[in-house]
Amino acid sequence: MAKKRHFAGYAACWVSGVLTLLVCLAIIIFLVLKGAHVLNWRFLTEDPRPSLNEALTGGILAPLIGTVFLTTLGICFALPWALATAIYLAEYAEDTPWVKTLRTGIDVLAGVPTIVFAIFGLAIFTHPGLAFFSTMVEGVENARAFGRSFLVAAFTMAMMVLPFVAKSIEEAIRAVPVTYKEAAFALGISKWRTIRMVILPAAAAGIITGVVLGIGRIAGDTAIVWLCLGGSMTLTGPQPWWEPQNWLATLQNTGSTLTTYIFYSSPAGEGNSPNKAFGAGLVLIVIILALNAVVDYLGRFTRLKEE
Amino acid sequence: MVPEGSPAQTAVAGKLAAGKEPAFQTVVVSARRRSIKEAGIEKALFAFTILSSILIFLIMFFVISKAIPVLQANGFSFVFSGGWDEHFVNAWLAPAGEPSWRFGALPLIAGTLYTTAGALLIALPFGLGCAIFLTELCPARLRKPLESTVRLLAAIPSVIYGLVGLLVVVPLIADQLISNELALQMINVCALDGTSLLAGMIVLSMMIVPIFIALAADALAAVPRRYKEASLALGVSHWRTIVKVMLPVARNGILAGAILAAGRAIGEAIALSMVTGSVANLPSVRHGLVFFLEPMRTLASTIIDNAEGMSVATCEAALFACASFLLVACIILSLFARLAAGGIQRKGGAAGG
Repeated sequence: MAKKRHFAGYAACWVSGVLTLLVCLAIIIFLVLKGAHVLNWRFLTEDPRPSLNEALTGGILAPLIGTVFLTTLGICFALPWALATAIYLAEYAEDTPWVKTLRTGIDVLAGVPTIVFAIFGLAIFTHPGLAFFSTMVEGVENARAFGRSFLVAAFTMAMMVLPFVAKSIEEAIRAVPVTYKEAAFALGISKWRTIRMVILPAAAAGIITGVVLGIGRIAGDTAIVWLCLGGSMTLTGPQPWWEPQNWLATLQNTGSTLTTYIFYSSPAGEGNSPNKAFGAGLVLIVIILALNAVVDYLGRFTRLKEE
Repeated sequence: MVPEGSPAQTAVAGKLAAGKEPAFQTVVVSARRRSIKEAGIEKALFAFTILSSILIFLIMFFVISKAIPVLQANGFSFVFSGGWDEHFVNAWLAPAGEPSWRFGALPLIAGTLYTTAGALLIALPFGLGCAIFLTELCPARLRKPLESTVRLLAAIPSVIYGLVGLLVVVPLIADQLISNELALQMINVCALDGTSLLAGMIVLSMMIVPIFIALAADALAAVPRRYKEASLALGVSHWRTIVKVMLPVARNGILAGAILAAGRAIGEAIALSMVTGSVANLPSVRHGLVFFLEPMRTLASTIIDNAEGMSVATCEAALFACASFLLVACIILSLFARLAAGGIQRKGGAAGG
């Protein structure tokens, strides 16, 4: 009797474990099967075009560029901020109730849904005083900024990934053996210099892991892009965007990323070209897989060093 | 830990020697300047930290203050009455002089609760089984790939779950569960085309299960080894040890994982907007099992679907009211999770809403 119950329990655990593996494999294989035949050089180097005929809807060049812009900008905004927070919490903060409150605040921030960040970012950056980040809306009674641009989306993304990046950097700093720090102090080195020259280099792998996690979250997010970058599929700044005098204007204007391209092209969006959506999905999942592989590799590296 | 003259220490010393430390004579003067600089740096770092943790209060203040006009105009009927879609169109089309402030979000709030509860019902037993398998039962060879898989599942963007759900789960439901007669019978209530509460529950459970597995597995792995060994030494079987010793000890961590998974489920917008049909319809229990097949919409996906209404003040305030409900719910859940686990680490991987 008891034996039978054990067997049922074992079986249930085995089934759920193996099923998890299978679901993950199934999603990836499904994307590869559906997306591989759309994927070619032209798909990657053409801009999307609005068309009812799926064959004429172009490629994903603009969304790809948008993803690169947004992840780069977002992590550039987030990293200094997260680094400062993590250094303070790991090296300077004492364990007082006051510091605990700060930690709770950052922890709660990690649980806020991205859609709330998105609507918050949109509302803040439509304030006319912040029109620099996007463009002004012309011909409206109450002055308001458009509130949708790469700069706005990148700043909102930075707020969204901040708690995750900060947490992972803090863990990396805490993992640095205390003997390194003691050696530096014994040589009479000041605290900040010790942090800069000894602790941060020793924690480099962990810091890069945090950055890569942040990049993955930014590249995979849709809600913030949809609200703060808008629904236009191509770059709306002055063309050609690669001319230096157009760089700032490009970032002040809107565009798209792979995630919004998938949303727009899926049957749920207006584009309705599911094959293109699968192609873009495959590209996105390859990017995410690559980022995950980097995290795995760096994780092994830091573990080896600790042993 | 690091022996004298080890490469690491030599490297550290070398790096420090290369830097420009002040000459011996000026040490006293520069020491004071240095301590001022040190204090300044600490203050600057502290300012950034304050900024990070004050952000949550800024968001709360801003979102809720924008939502107040709608909440005041409707009072409790915002929560207890329906008709969102109709109200939204009215507010959108209202002439500039006489804005329409009437909104009822009952279908959205109920929809959020239904999808979250359904996803948790599917994900928790399954995820717990998987966590036990991962930490206790699986062959050593399988453990590493399984861990990577869980991490990867957590990192898959929600729009991809939405896409796969829309093109696999939804047609499956439409073909297998919805007959023409049933669709005709329900034609006056809503269109049954496969985008449904059930599809939302299935897709959402797939999205939250990796987070729960990661946290539950961490909690199980943190159970002190001697507890397990003591139990096994008493002749208790492995399975009974898991159920009677390890699960009770890891209970708080598992609970925190479940709460965080619930928080993620409440806030999920894009995938649910794709698979649940985007209609502010309240599935009714009176229809029997058809309840699960009716289209619906959650608070979060409403913000995505009605985002074009942001240019009208009334619609904007209504969307902020939705966001403030989400925000308050998620903050409460986060605090409970913290309480349950005493500051558990968040392991979400690279996934967004």
